[in-house]
Amino acid sequence: MSQSLDSSKDTPVIKCESVFKIFGNNALKLLKSSNGQVDAKTFQEAGCIVGVNNASFGVQKGEMMVVMGLSGSGKSTLLRCISKLTDATSGKIFIDGEDLLSMSNKQLIELRRNKMGMVFQSFALLPHKTVIENIAFPLQIKGTSTLDSMEKALEMVELVGLKGRENYFPRELSGGQQQRVGIARSLAVEPDIWFLDEPFSALDPLIRKEMQDEFLRLQGVLNKTIMFVTHDFDEALRLADRIAIMKDGIIEQLDTPDNIVLNPATEYVKKFTEDVPREKILKIESIMDAYDSNNSSSTQVSKDAIIETLAESILNSKEILTVVDKNNEIVGSLNPAKVIKVIFGK
Amino acid sequence: MLINFKNSRLQQFILLFFVFLLLYFLVPEDENSFLWRLPPLLKDIPLLINNLLDNLMFKWLTVPVWDPDWQMYEDKPIFRLITRSIADFLLFLIIFIREIFLGGLQTIGSITGDSLKGFKWVYLPAIPWTAVVVGLFILGYRLQGLGLALIASIGFFYVSIFGQWEPTMETLSLVLVTAPICFVLGLSFGILGYLNKKVETTLQPILNIAQTMPHFSYLVPILVLFGIGDHAGAVATIIFATPPMIRLTILGLKKISPEVVESGLMSGCNRFQLLFRVLIPTARRDILIGVNQVIMQCLAMTTIAAFIGAKGLGFNLKVALNGLKIGKAAEIGICVVVIAVVLDKLSLAWANKQKDYFANLNFYKKNIAFIYFIILSIILGVIAYISAFYFEKGFNYLYLIPFGEGLTIAPILDAGVDWIWETFFYYLNIFNKFLITYVLFVMRDAYLGMPVVSTFVLVMGAGFIIGGVRSCIIVGALILFIALSEYWNRALITAYMATFAVGVSAILGITVGSICARNDISTKFILGICDFFQTFPSFIYLIPVILLFGITDTSVMIAAIAYASVPATRYTVEGLRSVPSSLHDAASMSGVSNFQRWKSIELPLAFPHIMLGINQTLIFALMMIVLGALIGTEDLGQIIMGCLSRPNGAGIGLTLGIFVSFICLAADNLIRTWADERKKLLGID
Amino acid sequence: MLKFITKIAVVLSLFVFSSVSKAADPIRIPVLNWSSQIVMANVMAQVFEEMGHTAELVPAESASRYEAVRIGDLHVAHETWESTMALPFYAAMDKGGLIDAGSHNLITFEEMGVPNWVIDEGLCPGLPNWEALKSPECAANFATADSDGKGRWLEGPYEWHTDVMPNRLKGLGIDDLWTVKFAGSADALWAELKAAKAEGRGTVIFNWSPNFTDAAGFTFIDFPPYFEGCRLENGGTLETTGCGSPKGWLKKAAHIKFPITHPDAYKFYTKMSFTAPQIGLMADLVDSQGMDHAAAATEFIAQNRDLIDLWKN
Repeated sequence: MSQSLDSSKDTPVIKCESVFKIFGNNALKLLKSSNGQVDAKTFQEAGCIVGVNNASFGVQKGEMMVVMGLSGSGKSTLLRCISKLTDATSGKIFIDGEDLLSMSNKQLIELRRNKMGMVFQSFALLPHKTVIENIAFPLQIKGTSTLDSMEKALEMVELVGLKGRENYFPRELSGGQQQRVGIARSLAVEPDIWFLDEPFSALDPLIRKEMQDEFLRLQGVLNKTIMFVTHDFDEALRLADRIAIMKDGIIEQLDTPDNIVLNPATEYVKKFTEDVPREKILKIESIMDAYDSNNSSSTQVSKDAIIETLAESILNSKEILTVVDKNNEIVGSLNPAKVIKVIFGK
Repeated sequence: MLINFKNSRLQQFILLFFVFLLLYFLVPEDENSFLWRLPPLLKDIPLLINNLLDNLMFKWLTVPVWDPDWQMYEDKPIFRLITRSIADFLLFLIIFIREIFLGGLQTIGSITGDSLKGFKWVYLPAIPWTAVVVGLFILGYRLQGLGLALIASIGFFYVSIFGQWEPTMETLSLVLVTAPICFVLGLSFGILGYLNKKVETTLQPILNIAQTMPHFSYLVPILVLFGIGDHAGAVATIIFATPPMIRLTILGLKKISPEVVESGLMSGCNRFQLLFRVLIPTARRDILIGVNQVIMQCLAMTTIAAFIGAKGLGFNLKVALNGLKIGKAAEIGICVVVIAVVLDKLSLAWANKQKDYFANLNFYKKNIAFIYFIILSIILGVIAYISAFYFEKGFNYLYLIPFGEGLTIAPILDAGVDWIWETFFYYLNIFNKFLITYVLFVMRDAYLGMPVVSTFVLVMGAGFIIGGVRSCIIVGALILFIALSEYWNRALITAYMATFAVGVSAILGITVGSICARNDISTKFILGICDFFQTFPSFIYLIPVILLFGITDTSVMIAAIAYASVPATRYTVEGLRSVPSSLHDAASMSGVSNFQRWKSIELPLAFPHIMLGINQTLIFALMMIVLGALIGTEDLGQIIMGCLSRPNGAGIGLTLGIFVSFICLAADNLIRTWADERKKLLGID
Repeated sequence: MLKFITKIAVVLSLFVFSSVSKAADPIRIPVLNWSSQIVMANVMAQVFEEMGHTAELVPAESASRYEAVRIGDLHVAHETWESTMALPFYAAMDKGGLIDAGSHNLITFEEMGVPNWVIDEGLCPGLPNWEALKSPECAANFATADSDGKGRWLEGPYEWHTDVMPNRLKGLGIDDLWTVKFAGSADALWAELKAAKAEGRGTVIFNWSPNFTDAAGFTFIDFPPYFEGCRLENGGTLETTGCGSPKGWLKKAAHIKFPITHPDAYKFYTKMSFTAPQIGLMADLVDSQGMDHAAAATEFIAQNRDLIDLWKN
């Protein structure tokens, strides 16, 4: 799926064209005089802080794009530009082909009410509302009748596994449960686009893992277009179709997890990838060869499987395996030697 | 040592104090020397203000209004016409609510005009007190449960059987009109202040002045602009009770995390939805404290409101005190507290009420409580009607127990006061003499013997050390304004009394607060006591303290301390209770004793909050010191009180009122700057 | 939207109602915080209602009510004591809007004095003659904690007579023995009376008659007689300023339009003229007999029906 993205003729759901976000009083003036060549240092000296520096990319329908970066890298700012919680200083952003920046306030509200959902790092639940009221909130804002919105909210409660706690207040829930409410709320209006701003960062590692699984499960069911912000590289690798790695407002590299691990574009990206256990990230697909019908055994492995999950059986079999895709069509063959190289090599 | 000096506040303060003392003893007492006293360059300001006020009230932008009595046109100033129509509106609301409880003919009369004047039936009958008590029980039960139902109904039952029904309902009707207005005004201005930084910076000083200006200084302008009566009382109450609501609204809104705002935006809220469905509900904790404060302040104003025409408990209180009937006055005071408690609890319960979305109720079930209330009211009304034939003397005890016809515990209370007098007077008298001779007069003389230059060095120096040049200039300017008037000596006396009262109140409040914050039960208990004394009319203290301490400064100080210890205690308890428990544990693990923990961990952390409490303590103390003019003082308060009878009193009263608030503002600036800085240092906000 | 409009309509209609409600203009009578004044207000209210008017009792404060009478928010101020209220009374009259509706039929005593038991106990032999005050032993019996060893004169609030009492002490040449303390309010005076008695300490306070203190026994001190211009501020000298207080009046004030808006009520008001015993009775009905103010007024009217009817016609 991911490989065909760039060549796709479909309009991407989200499209950014040289988006800049610069904080400071005379940001626009500085930006114009700099002619698109923004250097964080010179701007800082002029009293401006560069949040997003010339971001251009597109997110396809159903794709999960993860924006990864350390704090201050501008990842959250980028997300807020796209959700228009802050106004980009310059550049163009299109949502379903519509120009976000030229939208009227009314259009924007309509867009948010129907197409967007967002999950926040600190959950951002309304403390005075119960679980179900929180989840129903976006629906009620939209003007859905109380009974309908409550029914829908109840559905969502079940979806995120909080049944029986509808009438709890946020303060009575654990962090993980609160974020489930946040997720349910963001999904209540059945948005096409789902923004998640470090949704699991405030949670314990164990809960985080559990929530990631839950999240993958949900995405499997819902298949939304997602922009997911995180500072956790492992999380990014685990979840993403594509990862954008940001530093000082610049997207250093934007690629599939495999490609990033295998071919880091800059020194900065390389630092992240060095300690990554590749077998846990790479899929069979990334190390398979072209299909060689003579050599391959009849044992089949899926091209989307993570190497680690199959490593033991592959190594035990000692023969060249056949790689198939989802539809069981043969797409290549796999030499166990390559698996060994991934696991133990350099 | 010198390098250290820049960082050591203590050393800076010691140096400052040294310079102060040097000036104090070096500058000779000489009326012609500017170092001793500044010339009263601003002595015309009161007159100026008086003329401005006069213009506003009587001359500015007049329009001819036909006067049917004179049969001619009369010029009336537009400003007063506007204020008067506001007053009429307020009065209508008050009377409307009052007549629901007490009956009357003005509400119907206002609709029908004079045409039905002659008919006896044009009379709105009152709800019998029994029905009101039952109604409160139902309301309390419906909102929260049996506990609240009992508190509300027993409270009003007490009021009725003690024969205070009529004045209590008069006061209640005033509060039921003013409190919602304060709430709405406070919320609106709070929101405006939150949305617009400029509005907030303009509001701050106005709020400070409204909260700190002695009531007596603006009684006459209110009387002229709004007329005498319940409406004028309502206006004075609104001026006094709205500021805390505004402050708390701004505070609450500012505390909201940006992500909550964003989540609201992402839910597709428009501006109104964001404001009313996200921001305000999220800030509800502070807003509810605001509501609590509004109710308390409204009731704290009952006595003052009686000076400009508000009927009810405040007026009866004044009459009782004039006759030295302390027991009766205390009984009335308790009624004020009862209203405060019931209104506070009901409003809180109403705000916290949870909705059941899936209960599919029909009309009957939804309104069952109301239906019960109507039915019971009708039954009780009929009983009251019938019972009218049963009771002799013309009093119908099931309809309305008249004033003075109820039970009373006044003799017991009076006996209690007498007992205290007989038992302690001897010792108190010795204490009184000692205090006056060796503390109060010494302090007063020290303040009066202070050359103006040393005062400025001390105050501005403190400003500089605490808040830099900015604070130094602000504080200096505020004090300069007073120093250039004719009333500097009186201001010094006010300052001496305030210093003493605040000092003692702070020590008392912090001690009591620290002891009571140890556990939950005593915390709850002491906060309840604080609520009681904040609403219990402070006028009541005036007479007993005179009986015990005579017409002396001691009396004023005792009354001020009794009132001003409340915020010191309250804020200490709140501050200490908000110290995170992890710190308690950390402290316990390092093996500190209770006292060490209090001294080196809890107190420093609670310090910024306690300082805000000291700020409030000063405001409360000054309010009581000005009121102390009713006992007999020689400070600003005496003149403010006297201004009520002087030809150009309004201007002088207002000016001196502003002086009193300037003293508050100067202290406020220092305390707040300091507290804010400590807060930042400690990372609490 | 519809909801919004209805809300506005409701508010607007309330405004209209409230202004209409002014149409029935009651006679507004101030009530202060002492019994005789409140009962007299109730008497007037009941009589005005007998005459077909409506009357409203408005709680007020003694000094500031004259401004309210002046601008027409109150119609009357029926107990105006020369000693304590002359200043605001004349100030309002000067500004215009307040008229003098005559005096009550009595002469008021307003003077420094002592409760009778002070004389009985011999705390200052020679009283009520002021010469007794010259004795240092006498002055010492009236010393308090804050009087610096001197005897204390407890004067009413400063604005009642400003510097008259300090000047009088100087004029009498006893300012080395006595010092003036200004009480803050009448309440403070009564509290001091009670406290001094309980303590058995001598007290010289400012008081007036008729007053409820008459019942417990109060003796005014005889000072050198008052004459026009004896006081310093009226052009007197230090020798003459030791004079006592003049006999006072008890006036009735009214708003300038009262005679036009309610002519018959105003006529009653000018004729109404109570004597000292009558005012004493009003206070007594409440203070001693424990009646409520309105009931006391009814009782008073019943006892003085003839007089009231005479004034009514």
